[in-house]
Amino acid sequence: MMFFKASFITKFFFSSIISVFTLKIIISYCFVLLPVLSVFFLNTFTPLASGLYSCHTYYLLMIQRNPANEHHMTLMERMRVLSEGTKYDSCNQSAVCHAFGPDGRCIQLYKTLMTNACSGECTYCPNRCGRDSVRASLSPEEIVKITWSFYRRNAIEGLFLSSGVIGDAERTAEKQLDVARLLRGQGFTGYIHIRVMPGTPKYLLEEIADYANKFGVNAETTSSVNYSEICPNFDYQSDVLQRLQWTRDLINKKRCEAGFQGRIVGANDTQFVVGALQEPDREIIETVEKFMDRYELRRPYFMSFDPVPFTPLESNDPSPLWREVRLYQTSYLLKDYGLTASDLDRVLDDNGFLVDADPKMLLASCSPDMFPVNINTASREQLLTVPGIGPVGANRIIQSRPIKSEKELTRMGVVLARARPFIEINGKKQTNLFSFAGVGA
Amino acid sequence: MIVAFRDNVEGILLACAELIENPDCDLISAKDKDELKQKMDFTGIDEVKVFGFRCVADTTMLVRNIFGKQGSRMFQRDPDVEGYIAMVLRHGSSKPIELVRFLCSCKGNAELLYSGKSITGKKYYNYMRAVSRSYHRLCMFARPYLVNGVLSVKVDSPHRIGDMFCRWLARKNPDLPVSVIEGDVAWIGNGGHVGLEHFTKVPSSLAGSLGFSNACDEVDEMWDMYYDSQMIQKRRNKSHAKQLQPKDSASMSMMSERDRYKVERGIANCTLDNFASNPDV
Repeated sequence: MMFFKASFITKFFFSSIISVFTLKIIISYCFVLLPVLSVFFLNTFTPLASGLYSCHTYYLLMIQRNPANEHHMTLMERMRVLSEGTKYDSCNQSAVCHAFGPDGRCIQLYKTLMTNACSGECTYCPNRCGRDSVRASLSPEEIVKITWSFYRRNAIEGLFLSSGVIGDAERTAEKQLDVARLLRGQGFTGYIHIRVMPGTPKYLLEEIADYANKFGVNAETTSSVNYSEICPNFDYQSDVLQRLQWTRDLINKKRCEAGFQGRIVGANDTQFVVGALQEPDREIIETVEKFMDRYELRRPYFMSFDPVPFTPLESNDPSPLWREVRLYQTSYLLKDYGLTASDLDRVLDDNGFLVDADPKMLLASCSPDMFPVNINTASREQLLTVPGIGPVGANRIIQSRPIKSEKELTRMGVVLARARPFIEINGKKQTNLFSFAGVGA
Repeated sequence: MIVAFRDNVEGILLACAELIENPDCDLISAKDKDELKQKMDFTGIDEVKVFGFRCVADTTMLVRNIFGKQGSRMFQRDPDVEGYIAMVLRHGSSKPIELVRFLCSCKGNAELLYSGKSITGKKYYNYMRAVSRSYHRLCMFARPYLVNGVLSVKVDSPHRIGDMFCRWLARKNPDLPVSVIEGDVAWIGNGGHVGLEHFTKVPSSLAGSLGFSNACDEVDEMWDMYYDSQMIQKRRNKSHAKQLQPKDSASMSMMSERDRYKVERGIANCTLDNFASNPDV
């Protein structure tokens, strides 16, 4: 019993000591160790974890946005991205071409976007806001440096500058103006073509006109309804047509200024996206004629629609390239041959679309009574109706009369293979099936 | 009688005017007075009229006297009569005496210079076009380097057009001195920037000391990258591109050579770098 009592007391004593010790440990853990350990863990692992997380997120973003370049983009890489963004833009300025690409198009200007990070939501555009793509920008100083480098090397004649919309049209135009101002300030005498954004304020257009040789806004389509569908951020009437009118006025004003410091002042120009909205060619031709009449449009540019992945129009069919070519041909008929849009109705199908054939050849085929044309007696207007004879060729023919052989015509740039069925030289003409059969002329 | 003339625009026009007056006279042409003296010693004839060795005539007036009001040219880019003669004289195969006789045979009709209706007319028109084409090709494909603050380029053309190109390059870069080396002579444009005359001719050894490098620099790399970026594969028209970027353009500069190569072969999507950076490929 005594042993039991002694052991119980001992047990109780030791257990009390242990409990007190344990309690002390627990208390000390709670009040001292826990904060220390917490601080240690927080200090050590939190930044690591957050760092890892942010690295992971950045990595994912890079993979998603820019799978090829998981690093800061160099000047060359940015240059490539932005130059590719302008490769569909035509910018002929009838000066020295310095190179010809493998596709046969000439390279005479350094064409670039300032940025492809655009706040616009144009439904056909690869640079539209919100689309996953590699975004890059060039500063005005960088563009100036590249332009000078190419210009000194005689690789270009000037600069073609376009851009995505940086916030709004005004800010974008200011940036574009910075480039032009910098270049001219450094004594650049080359050609500068600025593609301004829809909605650029008039005061900035006036300033741009002081520095650029050519500037203009893209109409993209034929009507307000169509425009609001493909460019929802801008208004056709006020942001495009009004600007075309201002551009026309500014160009005329600059041309009146004596010599304009010996600088070329380019005519108004604009670009249409063909086939994005299934608008018929008749509508495009009529719009071009209207623009030529109202805004003194010299030459329209056409860009075939090609659906871009991850854009609202990605499921639309691409427009055939031949359509673009035929539209260019009809625009020349309007510009250089004195035809009107109603004259061209004969070359359109029932739905108002062009067919894949030379419109001038179709027009000639529609009027067999007018041919053959006597090369030595026909008027300039009659010569112009002959396929294979253009305005320059017609002038040469008139200048070089009398013409005795086909060889002379070839020398004057006449495409004889096309012209032969429609002409007569010294009483000689090609026999066609109708005359062979004794039907008609 | 002998009409001796210098083979420059003024000499040709003066000789032409004289030949119209005296159709039976003989013609002798010379580059300079020394050559003329040699030729004259050989003939032994005393009655000689010498033209073109002293600048006294207004060539525009001479052209007006011989051809009257000039008609429109065959091509928009064709030069006027003065330009036509200047171009023809630069051609390696041109014969000044034949040219004078041809100009006289036109009987005041300038259109015959351009229309190519006679065999000689066609020949000289083609000479003019050949020189003009060479000049334009130089303007297109020559790539000068900026060496020690001088924009310098070596050109090699069958026709003597180095000075024409130098003037064009100087107009394009008015803020820099330019040097065009053609054989053993060098043309300096905008020479005022380096204490020379505005436009002058110096021995090529002087301009050659600037030093050239055929190695690719940063601008070459940037150009290659830019050139490649402008290609639209779907629209490739090889034969058209080959016509526009002709084979002889490749000899004008390293840059044009690479461009021509790409026109012929296309732009490779896959290069050795792809294999080096990704061994799995």
